Amino acid sequence: LPSRPVDREKAEADLAQNIKKATSPEETAPKQKHVRSCIVYTWDYHMSASIWAGLKVQPILSDEVQIFKALITVHKIIRQGHPVVLKDAQRETSWIETCARSTVGDGMKGYGRLIRGYVDFILSKLSFHKQHQEFNGTFEYEEYITLKGIDDPNEGYETIGELMNLQDQIDQFQKLIFNNFRGSSNNECRIAALVPLVEESYGIYKFITSMLRAMHRTMDALAPLRTRYNSQHYALLKFYYECSNLRYLTSLISVPKLPQDPPDLTISDSPTPG
Amino acid sequence: MAARGAIRSVKNYAKGYSDVQVKVREATSNDPWGPSGSLMNEIAQMTYNQHDFVEIMEMLDKRMNDKGKNWRHVFKALTVLDYCLHTGSENVVIYAKENAYIVKTLKEFQHIDEDGKDVGANVRQKAKDITALLLDETRLKEERSKRTAMRDRMANGRYT
Repeated sequence: LPSRPVDREKAEADLAQNIKKATSPEETAPKQKHVRSCIVYTWDYHMSASIWAGLKVQPILSDEVQIFKALITVHKIIRQGHPVVLKDAQRETSWIETCARSTVGDGMKGYGRLIRGYVDFILSKLSFHKQHQEFNGTFEYEEYITLKGIDDPNEGYETIGELMNLQDQIDQFQKLIFNNFRGSSNNECRIAALVPLVEESYGIYKFITSMLRAMHRTMDALAPLRTRYNSQHYALLKFYYECSNLRYLTSLISVPKLPQDPPDLTISDSPTPG
Repeated sequence: MAARGAIRSVKNYAKGYSDVQVKVREATSNDPWGPSGSLMNEIAQMTYNQHDFVEIMEMLDKRMNDKGKNWRHVFKALTVLDYCLHTGSENVVIYAKENAYIVKTLKEFQHIDEDGKDVGANVRQKAKDITALLLDETRLKEERSKRTAMRDRMANGRYT
């Protein structure tokens, strides 16, 4: 039990309500207070079974907006919840896949392709975490991983490559979201999905930057990674620029500001961005 | 404002809050001004008493998890927590680290007030600052010892 004052029975009842409200049929963002309650629940009890069960009892799959909101909610809980959520999510991939099969074509409101894109991304993220259990959901830079990279440069090299694949996938998905904005609506529900993507991409960016800097001191064969790093830097710069023009989004999070040009990775003592 | 204070004291009485909890409620109230330094200092000193410590943390936890409309509760609870992390007992540090996710998840706190003003930004920034402090063991130790040294100097009347 956590050291903070909690009430288990009330927590379970509240959780069911929070899941229901986060995945309601209204075409809006899932309210952060409901998502936050789910995240706090996973840390209080080191569990996420009730969350998956709660998602499944909701009539989500018959409504494209509800599916999309459920995916945003799942993504946020996987990212910020207790590490046990990442493990539990590995067992829920078939439910996540069902989400992708539940809409045909574009869907009435145009969420069809977004849903399939989101499912692809979440499954890739889960498979990355399955192979690299030393990472937490938000890719927070932890020094020991850098050290691990130095001890075994090959392993570090491959890990960065895989992280970059994930970063490319975020880039594709964010472009899909921007391309599917609808002039007639305020797009709040679509923009809501950009929030965890901005945070995820920045976490990965900071991680790769730190890792490449650490490796530069130990090995010299990093030219391909450096080239790829630079092109991802410019892609992110563009992504964040476009996000910074979305007033609704900038009222929710501060979009990271990257320097115009990629940082010099050979300067080992310069600080990690952000 | 006077009416608000009156309602608060009725609630304090009706809900049977202890003196310690009444102080924390006062410091984290919905009044549009920040908690006074002397009140925060009083609360921080009380964290050295185990019984008071538990009551203080309970009340801060309640305030930090309040809803958007009461964003001032959340913001001021973070302010008091920040103060106690600097000058309160070591137990505050241990408790805050154990429950870091409470503060961390407030980094995305959202609330727009009736005038369309984004008041959630205050909470988000405070939550970021405290999360960074909790992750930086060295800085936290430094800041705590700096505060202790300063208080000792003040108490001894020696200014360097």
